[in-house]
Amino acid sequence: MPRRIVNVGIVVAIVVLAVTTVGLLLGGSGGRDRASELQQRLRCPVCKSVSIDESQSQTAVAMRRAVAEQVAAGRGDAEIIGFFRARYGDWVLLDPPFRGTTALLWLLPAAATFVGVAALLARARRVVPPAAEISAADRARVATELARTRTAEQEP
Amino acid sequence: MTTAIPAAGWTGALLGLAASLVLAVLGFRAQRRPDAVKHRQLRVTVWLMLGGAALSMLALEVALFTDDFALAYVAETHARSSSLLFTFTTAWSGLGGSLVLWALVLAGYTAVVARGVHGTGDRLGTGALGVLGVVSSFFFGLITTAANPFEILADPPADGPGPNPLLRDHVMVAFHPPMLYLGYVGFTVPFAFAMSALLLRRGGVDWLRRTRRANLVAWSFLTGGLVLGGWWSYEVLGWGGFWAWDPVENAALIPWLVATAFIHSSVVQLRRGMLQAWNFVLVIATFALTILGTFLTRSSVVVSVHSFSQSAVGPALLGFFVLVVGGGFVLFALRGERVASLSAPESLASREGVFLVNNLLLSLLAFVVLLGTVYPILIEALTGSQVSVGRPYFDRMAVPIAFALLLAMGVGPVTPYRRATAAVLWARLRIPLLAASATAAALALAGIRSVSVVAVAFLATGIAASSARQLTVTAPSLHPRDVVRVLRSQRGYWGGQLAHLGVALVAVAIAISGGLADRATVTLGQGQSVRFAGYSVSFERTEQHRLADRSVTDAHIAFRADGKVIQVAQPRLSSFAGQRQAVGEPSVWSGPTRDIYVALADLSPGQVTLNLYRYPLMSWLWVGGLLVMAGGFWALGGRGRRRAEPGAPTPEEVPAHA
Repeated sequence: MPRRIVNVGIVVAIVVLAVTTVGLLLGGSGGRDRASELQQRLRCPVCKSVSIDESQSQTAVAMRRAVAEQVAAGRGDAEIIGFFRARYGDWVLLDPPFRGTTALLWLLPAAATFVGVAALLARARRVVPPAAEISAADRARVATELARTRTAEQEP
Repeated sequence: MTTAIPAAGWTGALLGLAASLVLAVLGFRAQRRPDAVKHRQLRVTVWLMLGGAALSMLALEVALFTDDFALAYVAETHARSSSLLFTFTTAWSGLGGSLVLWALVLAGYTAVVARGVHGTGDRLGTGALGVLGVVSSFFFGLITTAANPFEILADPPADGPGPNPLLRDHVMVAFHPPMLYLGYVGFTVPFAFAMSALLLRRGGVDWLRRTRRANLVAWSFLTGGLVLGGWWSYEVLGWGGFWAWDPVENAALIPWLVATAFIHSSVVQLRRGMLQAWNFVLVIATFALTILGTFLTRSSVVVSVHSFSQSAVGPALLGFFVLVVGGGFVLFALRGERVASLSAPESLASREGVFLVNNLLLSLLAFVVLLGTVYPILIEALTGSQVSVGRPYFDRMAVPIAFALLLAMGVGPVTPYRRATAAVLWARLRIPLLAASATAAALALAGIRSVSVVAVAFLATGIAASSARQLTVTAPSLHPRDVVRVLRSQRGYWGGQLAHLGVALVAVAIAISGGLADRATVTLGQGQSVRFAGYSVSFERTEQHRLADRSVTDAHIAFRADGKVIQVAQPRLSSFAGQRQAVGEPSVWSGPTRDIYVALADLSPGQVTLNLYRYPLMSWLWVGGLLVMAGGFWALGGRGRRRAEPGAPTPEEVPAHA
């Protein structure tokens, strides 16, 4: 059947394209810019709610330099973040760590997701008897009405 | 002369306050006993309220244009040297004036609602006017007390400092705030009708139908306000971005998300009679969140580019927020049972099922953004310790939800109501899926290795193709006349599709401009050059200009290709008289394929330090955002849906309890 062939063709094409895409994405690792990633996680102490990556203030420039130097010196992410945390406190971390005062920040979204999904599933699981099949006469009526609407003159 | 104008403004505000209080009383009385109040009384009250607000605004403008420094607001926010445009916009550059604009917009919406109330027999309408009266009493109350812009100074200064430098440097100040207000304030109307329906114990779709226009107008303007705000931030703040997850940006985004959820869930109620109670929740939440957002902006709890100075309106707004949340949800809890819908979706694999998923996702997103925004404030208030919640947190939470939303956007609009079989979905989605896969593969083959860019392009292509396919199978032919007829016959659906297309475009622009950006920080001596984005970039000279209210230093940065100057970027530094801090303004060279953004990091004689950015496809972000807004307006256009007959009793659509 030609229709079936079309369907199979589309499936094959989608699979081939997907495999190509995934393969290419997995194969080539775009080198990540560690310094920039770290800079985005540190808050500029003298600005208004932006990271040092985004700020042009002198403090931010100095902090960026410090990050770059430490990355070049081969220090790990945790070490570098710890360095700034020791100087400025937790406040400097735009990505708050999970602990005492910040626990709810991570637990509440998880709880909300859980409750939301549960509510959604509970709603959908209420079994509703399937609707009766539409009779042939009704089908014909729908078809005629549809044809009439489609060929109707343009609205005034 | 010096006291006549403040007196007029003050009189206007008092008139507005009195009329709002009267409207609240009359509206609720008319709702309880339709015969006790005359229709004329309601109309006159509303016109007085609008007149009072207009008089206040006019007085403020006249005072600004006549340099009437005896008025406290003028003395604080105006300078003689301000240009005409910025003198005009100064009316909402400060706290008191911005509340006058707020009250004016609210009075305007109230007048539109009053036009739709054709008699006191319309109990839903009169009750809504009562609620609007309460809300406007609060805002006129603020203008006449805590944030009074019409205070008269005994010893007027000869000149003032002018508005905040950021608010007199870009034409956007004439568009972004008023648009945002039109959006923010507009959500009062659905809230008022919802409250009125709850007071009447009347669920059903009547209140939804009657607030559809106001809700869409408000949503479209808020969309526009958000987009213009992002654009403005990108054009002037100079940090190279357009969205900082700043608390006040979030304060505008959260109601937008909830209102977007409401637009979708109201369709489910209109079509399938589900989610009645949930719609009340969303409408009350949207309005409450606009008040919370106003509180965040106008009290000094957050430090932000948007914050106004400290004042007594903060506690008042917080109190009003508590009142709205408390009153709204208590009323809802008392009446919720009466308005709950009894039907549930047959299957999650159906249009209403996808709408439910959409609502879950949008509500979650709103919740997460709200949590991240207020968490540091709450922690500091409760424990005194400071925590920061910034971009990494928001990105991590928002990006997965955004991807899920994009996916739902591609699938939902072609999913049939009630029950979708795999065969139907496959038939409708196979071509979009093929197109999306082809786009993703093409990008990967072209050497793009960013997973998020490829994934967003995949989803966006899917959304566009699914929408295009739907149009081709719905239209009788591809003749433009027929296509336009289809687009006009189902404005709600196709307006929504246009908005979806806009969102897809925004997502692509965000992913590509963020994921494939180039950035460099360079220090150049005069005459030196460096290569960036395929151009030779050189520092030519600096120029000083003296303007009426500022002195401007601009650096001339030439972009050359093959030795010819293609573009001279002029990022600049402005110093305003009476303001300490100089304001830098970047230079943005926009094009359809990429923006080149030049920001001054440091400027000293003979040497300049520049931050250079190249953002691919950046301008499409604004185009996409405006498409979303256009989608909202398209859904509005044309003849309205069936309108409830004036004064006619509306059928109770709530199923009676057994």
